[in-house]
Amino acid sequence: MKKLIFAFLSCLMLGVAAPSFASTDGPAEFVRENAKQVLDLLKKDDGKNSRKIREQLEALVLPKFDFKRMTAFAVGKNWRVATPAQQTELTAQFQTLLTRVYASTMTRYKNAQIDVKQNAVLSPGGLEATVKTDVTLPNGSDKKPISVDYTLYHTQQGWRVYNVSVEGASLVTAYRNQFDTEVRSNGVDGLIRSLREKNAKLGSGA
Amino acid sequence: MKTALRLVVLFMALALSACASVPNSPQDPLEPMNRAIYRFNDVADRNVAKPLAEGYRYITPQPVRSAVGNFFDNIRDVYSLGNNILQAEPEKALNDLMRVAINSTFGIFGLIDIATPAGLKNNKTSFGDTLAAWGWKNSSYLVIPLLGPSTVRDGTGMGLTTVLASDRPLYGNSATANVALGVNLISKRESLLGVEDTVNEAALDPYSYTRDAYLQIRNKQVGAPQTELQQEEMNIDELMGTASAPAAEVPPAAASAPAAASAPAAVLPRSDASAAH
Repeated sequence: MKKLIFAFLSCLMLGVAAPSFASTDGPAEFVRENAKQVLDLLKKDDGKNSRKIREQLEALVLPKFDFKRMTAFAVGKNWRVATPAQQTELTAQFQTLLTRVYASTMTRYKNAQIDVKQNAVLSPGGLEATVKTDVTLPNGSDKKPISVDYTLYHTQQGWRVYNVSVEGASLVTAYRNQFDTEVRSNGVDGLIRSLREKNAKLGSGA
Repeated sequence: MKTALRLVVLFMALALSACASVPNSPQDPLEPMNRAIYRFNDVADRNVAKPLAEGYRYITPQPVRSAVGNFFDNIRDVYSLGNNILQAEPEKALNDLMRVAINSTFGIFGLIDIATPAGLKNNKTSFGDTLAAWGWKNSSYLVIPLLGPSTVRDGTGMGLTTVLASDRPLYGNSATANVALGVNLISKRESLLGVEDTVNEAALDPYSYTRDAYLQIRNKQVGAPQTELQQEEMNIDELMGTASAPAAEVPPAAASAPAAASAPAAVLPRSDASAAH
């Protein structure tokens, strides 16, 4: 038992060691572990090192998402008409955008409490899982917890998140209309261009 | 009054012009009008509502903001009670009745929410939900001036509630009622501070991002079907399997060079085709 606790603690302290556990752990543990790492990292933000913390945060969460699947999910039927090269570029741009948005949103809500529900809902094949969490924001006057659901996919490297829903609204499929409009008027390359412009603007502005 | 009438005429004209263009979302036939109101709201928010909410957060300690939020929440429970009766939900109505009874007395006029920790769930419902329960499930998106995202159904519900069952008599005189309305709105805006930054950062088009996220939540709440694009649960595995296999093997740097040459040619015929319908 002592050994187990020690192993657990050293894992937490190293942080980096945790992903090697991911392939054996269930999806709920995967989400819980990540939430803890993210919140611990955010607590180190003392106002002066914000930029560094943000970079660390982006690096921390980057390997936890399956961005390719996520991008395909957001692009929808147009994904089929995109060439493999376009798919790669779309994924790269969408990944940059989402990690940035994620990092700055988490920085804004760093005092949040995340309660990860015990049992994940597995798909019939067992390759997909939905993990439910309740997020409480101590700052808000509205004390009602916000439900945030993660959809994960089992890859060879372990569980990877590819969809996030807030109160039933998927942050990924909410992009579909915007992407579809862009593709209809300017083609897949037009969409890549506008994502690139968006990222450039965020990079210089923030 | 005259200005109000002029505004209505303007919005109607915009709404009619909406019919001429092809809406990009089937649940948003009023898009041009909604976009105009959205822009107006955005300016009003930047210049008035958001600064007020930030000021409010700055000068009040957290317990005061909680108490203010709870006070208006308690009043909303009364409306919720009425609507749960109209929806023939006796259990939920009883729950709301208990909440109001406990919070108005032991909770000192609703300033403290004792009911929630005591296990009485906060299951607010509005007249919009009642209309949905009576069968009006699908409703077009509507941006309400100063209040933001809603639907025609929920806006109708809100309007009827204000006309038929106003809470203004509760405050004694109209000056106090106006102050209460203002504080209520600022308190609501305060609880949403930060959301606008995320939306502006995340979205290519903040208007449609807000709309699509809002409609997903609202449709789910009232049990309406999701719009076609959102619903496309589209076999994600099939999507990943068909075209993506080669991309996985080619490293990104090597793949992007031929893309530049071949992509425009591949895209052009498609945009022609889509322009046709």
